[in-house]
Amino acid sequence: MRRGKKKTTIDDIQLDSTLSKLIDGSLEVNLTVIKKILGDASDLVIRRMTLNNSNNLKGAVLYIDGLVDKTSVQDFILEVMMVEVPPEKISLAHVYEEIKNSALPIGEITETNKLDDLLLRLLSGETLVLVDKETQALSASTKGWKDRGVQETTSESVIRGPKESFTETLRTNTALVRRKIKDPNLRIDAKKIGNMTVTDVAVLYIEGTADESVVKELHARLDKIDIDGVLESGYIEEFIEDPPYSPFPKVYYTERPDSIAGGLLEGKVAIITDGTPNVLLVPALFVNFMQSSEDYYQRYDIGTFIRLLRLFSFVIALFMPSLYIAITTFHQEMIPAPLLINLAAQREGVPFPAFVEAVLMEATFEILREAGVRLPKAVGSAVSIVGALVLGESAVQAGLVSPAMVIVVAITAISSFVFPSYNMAIPVRMLRFSLMILAATFGLYGIILGLIALVLHLCSLQSFGVPYMSPFAPLVPKDQKDVLVRFPHWGLLSRPSATSHKNEKRTNGRNQSKGGSK
Amino acid sequence: MKGMWYLWNKSRLILIMFACLVFLSGCWSSRELDELGIAVALGMDKTEEETYALTVQIINPSEIAAEKATTRPPVTLYKAEGETLFEAFRKMTKTAPRKIYVSQLRLVVIGQSLAEEGVLPALDLLYRDPEFRTSFFMTIAKNASVEDILSVITPYEKIPANKIMETLTAAQENWAATEGVYIDQVISDIRSTGKSPVMTGILMKGKEDIGNSIKNIEYLDAPTRLEIDHLSVFKDDRMLGWLNEAESKGYNYIAGNVKSTLINFPCKEEGSGRIGVELLRTNASMDAKMKKGKPVISVDIEAEGNVGEVECQIDLSKPETLQMIAQKTEGDIKDKIQASIKAAQEVYESDIFGFGNAVSRKAPNYWKKVEKDWDAHFVDTEVKINTKVNIRRKGTNVQPVQKEG
Repeated sequence: MRRGKKKTTIDDIQLDSTLSKLIDGSLEVNLTVIKKILGDASDLVIRRMTLNNSNNLKGAVLYIDGLVDKTSVQDFILEVMMVEVPPEKISLAHVYEEIKNSALPIGEITETNKLDDLLLRLLSGETLVLVDKETQALSASTKGWKDRGVQETTSESVIRGPKESFTETLRTNTALVRRKIKDPNLRIDAKKIGNMTVTDVAVLYIEGTADESVVKELHARLDKIDIDGVLESGYIEEFIEDPPYSPFPKVYYTERPDSIAGGLLEGKVAIITDGTPNVLLVPALFVNFMQSSEDYYQRYDIGTFIRLLRLFSFVIALFMPSLYIAITTFHQEMIPAPLLINLAAQREGVPFPAFVEAVLMEATFEILREAGVRLPKAVGSAVSIVGALVLGESAVQAGLVSPAMVIVVAITAISSFVFPSYNMAIPVRMLRFSLMILAATFGLYGIILGLIALVLHLCSLQSFGVPYMSPFAPLVPKDQKDVLVRFPHWGLLSRPSATSHKNEKRTNGRNQSKGGSK
Repeated sequence: MKGMWYLWNKSRLILIMFACLVFLSGCWSSRELDELGIAVALGMDKTEEETYALTVQIINPSEIAAEKATTRPPVTLYKAEGETLFEAFRKMTKTAPRKIYVSQLRLVVIGQSLAEEGVLPALDLLYRDPEFRTSFFMTIAKNASVEDILSVITPYEKIPANKIMETLTAAQENWAATEGVYIDQVISDIRSTGKSPVMTGILMKGKEDIGNSIKNIEYLDAPTRLEIDHLSVFKDDRMLGWLNEAESKGYNYIAGNVKSTLINFPCKEEGSGRIGVELLRTNASMDAKMKKGKPVISVDIEAEGNVGEVECQIDLSKPETLQMIAQKTEGDIKDKIQASIKAAQEVYESDIFGFGNAVSRKAPNYWKKVEKDWDAHFVDTEVKINTKVNIRRKGTNVQPVQKEG
């Protein structure tokens, strides 16, 4: 920057060379530069003031309207600077020092001399205090904006258990987790990802319980991310996911603080992204997507029953249409005679092969579901009427599909809603179609081929070095207590060995006699 | 050229191409349900020209599952003749609109002329073809042609073949004068030297000309009916004749097929009034012993029964009365068994009971000598019959309703 005259005009400043620059000694230059960089943003508030009348020492307070808590800016910054500082008892040289050390009653004050750092703080909602003739500037944390507040979870509701869900604000979210785990070993590492959004990201884990190599690997993968913006945790998920070419999710996400706390206790690592209530959890195993936090809140026998039910509906959601196609077009001898006659009668006059019939109905259902998700609530009922009546009922009456196929598609659809994790339902939905093609081509033989390929694929997957199918493959007998069945809490003495190698014991051993005395 | 294609290296491409090859087979051997002619009953007989006459009863699904009554028959009959059964099957496509699908077959009816000539050659196809399940009953058409029997439209049960199968099962479980025999049992009996097969007969009763019309079921009392009859006796694979009801029951006692049946006998030597005993469980065992170089077969029957019906004045509270009832029941069982053994030994000279198998297990050396002409030895084999009946219950009424005082 050239500084030929005392007065520098905006036009004189070369923008590209200023960004990494230090703060200038002149307040006017600084303000001009900031204004220029922000393109005279309309929400930028600059309050100029005279700090020392006799010397005409100028100062300025800058903040972005809407991102700051106005009352704290008013009460703790503007009032202090304009009412308390001006009395001429402070010598000129000490004005800045005085403001920094004793004038601003605000918890978090940082001092910086870098312009880009200053800008980032300004845009994150902090209030800048600039004093003329100083090459340092103060930034006070006055973040405060309208947020949603902690509300009841909408996507993962439970009958028994906490109802709160994460919000869009990172700090609230870390607090929600801290409130559940008061262990001093809970670590919250901060990161900023995204060249333009500069999104705050927090990595949470319990030191001594979480696998260090996973934490290290996660940090490495997060640091490697190079993207302009992170608007949701899904951006991060795709970058840190293990093999990207697999329909199965290898990162668990939830908006329930209790699920995250449970995961941390198992030695997993959580990633909270600012701006989204969906928090990631790694490593994620196949079985995690079949489990709900409520399994642990209900009695263990109910939890076990529900888990088995979910597994059963997983099988139905994945295989039902293809089994129906395979059996009715290749293996009619497997159907009991009365049922076969019934099915054959339903199919009389249906113009399409069973496969086309099934694809037609499944596709219709997927379209309806997608429409239902995106529609405003008021129109939703209209879609369900059209979907249920017009497409279901009328398609049968028009003889386009057989009633049995409608039942098959319906039970498949209902079953796919049983998973607690929406992102496990998606690969099931997609694989269902490939299995249907296999079933229509080879019958049960094709389904078995597909199943073998599926199992091979699942067994080849890893999530942060942990085999995806553990504790089934490799089989860990001692971890079976909390997979398909859930043992009572007094029986869950150790953490799953897949995610926690150290600190395996969950208890201090005081209640171990409970199991024996039973 | 970076991008998606960059990631697919050559070997992957080749692998995918091979994977696609698999789909070139198309939907080989896939059949939609509405392309199937689901056969429920199959009739076979020999014609006068020594060819096979094949009759197949195919269901008409939309009529069977129809919610409203229709005037079309629920099943259709297709016929064909051929040098072999297989040929006849394929010839059938000349008349039938769909390929005959035999996996759901419930019933095979064999014509009397084929049965008398020998059924074994005809069974090969039913046993060899993978499409046949072996869970169908083998029966013999007793007084009518196979075609006539299969074309009777039955009341109550829409599919005639189902009707026969269900009647057969019900009669076997509650009356025990018939036996539903599956093809694998028939074949193993024919091939066994120590046992001859039996099969149940099917009888047509009533007016023959109405049976094959839907009119048959418009009457309250259907003019034409199908009835399950008694057992036919085979020697090797040729049918010799029929057992009557008592003999059929006797056979089933020995074979251990009696689940439940009814026995009745007069209360006293003279006078009217009978007592009915319901047998609930029977346990049969057969053993062979060698005595003076000759086999002696012992048949032990243990049974449990209830007093089901009493028409005369007896004092049921006395243990002697119950003992008397038990004894008479034992006598009745014994009589029937003796009658069936007599018929097998004297009339047909065919070991339908499997005594030969019992001998072969107990005296293998003796068996080796007589195996070739066992039937000649069977004729004068001594059979000892032991029956033991326990009367357990008397129903809700302690004494007969006629009893005074």
